[in-house]
Amino acid sequence: MAENTTENHKRSSKISLRPIQLSHIDDFMVWATDDRVSQYCIWDTYTSKVQALDFIKNNAMPHPWFRVICVENRAVGSISVSPNSGNDSCRGELGYVLAYEHWGKGVATKVVKMVVSSIFREWPHLERLEAYVDANNKGSQRVLEKAGFIREAVLRKHRIIKGISRDMVVFSILSSDQHLDS
Amino acid sequence: MERHSDSDITIRPLDISDSEDFINLYADEKVRKFSSRDAFTSKEAAIEYFMSTDIPHPWIRAICLSGRPVGSISVSPFYGTEKCRAELGYVVASDCWGRGIATAAVKMAAKAVFVDWGHLERLEAVVDVENPGSQRVMEKVGFKREGVLRKYYLLKGRPRDAVIFSLLSTDDPLS
Repeated sequence: MAENTTENHKRSSKISLRPIQLSHIDDFMVWATDDRVSQYCIWDTYTSKVQALDFIKNNAMPHPWFRVICVENRAVGSISVSPNSGNDSCRGELGYVLAYEHWGKGVATKVVKMVVSSIFREWPHLERLEAYVDANNKGSQRVLEKAGFIREAVLRKHRIIKGISRDMVVFSILSSDQHLDS
Repeated sequence: MERHSDSDITIRPLDISDSEDFINLYADEKVRKFSSRDAFTSKEAAIEYFMSTDIPHPWIRAICLSGRPVGSISVSPFYGTEKCRAELGYVVASDCWGRGIATAAVKMAAKAVFVDWGHLERLEAVVDVENPGSQRVMEKVGFKREGVLRKYYLLKGRPRDAVIFSLLSTDDPLS
């Protein structure tokens, strides 16, 4: 996922985060059925609307923190924070996905910054927001770095993606790190 | 510093008769310092925990010195897209520290669990930054120190930085 280096690409395109609804299904299918988008994700490319509706209804809608990423009122991706329990409850895991058409425009960086600036207030017990990125996914690594995350380690054979165990880079931002100037 | 021959140190499955030794193990303040286990309010509570959590654990062994239980070592699996990895944890009675017991037990457990779980590719350990003893054990066994995870977990309610180590089924110490 390449990011534009030139700052003059900042149009006033309205980017917002909203709760997901079943009516987002057609927009959802745009990114969920795209192999380029699912390549570094733990989920496999969706092949049917039934499968997608099941995910929206039974995973996304009841999720503790899940939003669709909207550009000019159109859903173009999603972003979520998954909490942990017990002795792991000080950390939450960030994940996001963006339709290919919207790559390289700074959308991902912007929405990650939006989440960072609000999640620690919404979840006061949260100390650490972390993200695990495939070692080959340079684009997402850059997004997190630009959003202020610290690269902590490469975890060897940490997750299975498309049937093969992958090295994952772990990034984190702490409630004490984050800047409120996004 | 006494060292024992590795043949004195063995690991074996738990038995319900180990409950007394387990209670004493976790009653040890030094052992509890970096353990997620809180002190039990009663012997009954400790036995209940041993029976309900330790005995049925997916992979747990008693660490024995000349046949006497002095600690325990366990490997906790992950599931789904994370099933390629599992997390190692262990405790050794504090009066047995400094004798190479943990190092020997971790070596034996690592070899055994990769045999038992053919799908396992990564064994990892999360060690508190202020626990240099256990960090040294991991290094001696041949785990790779991958980095420090900041405010990763809660210990006695406080967020702690932890060093993450890993050993792969393909790593040298196991071949």
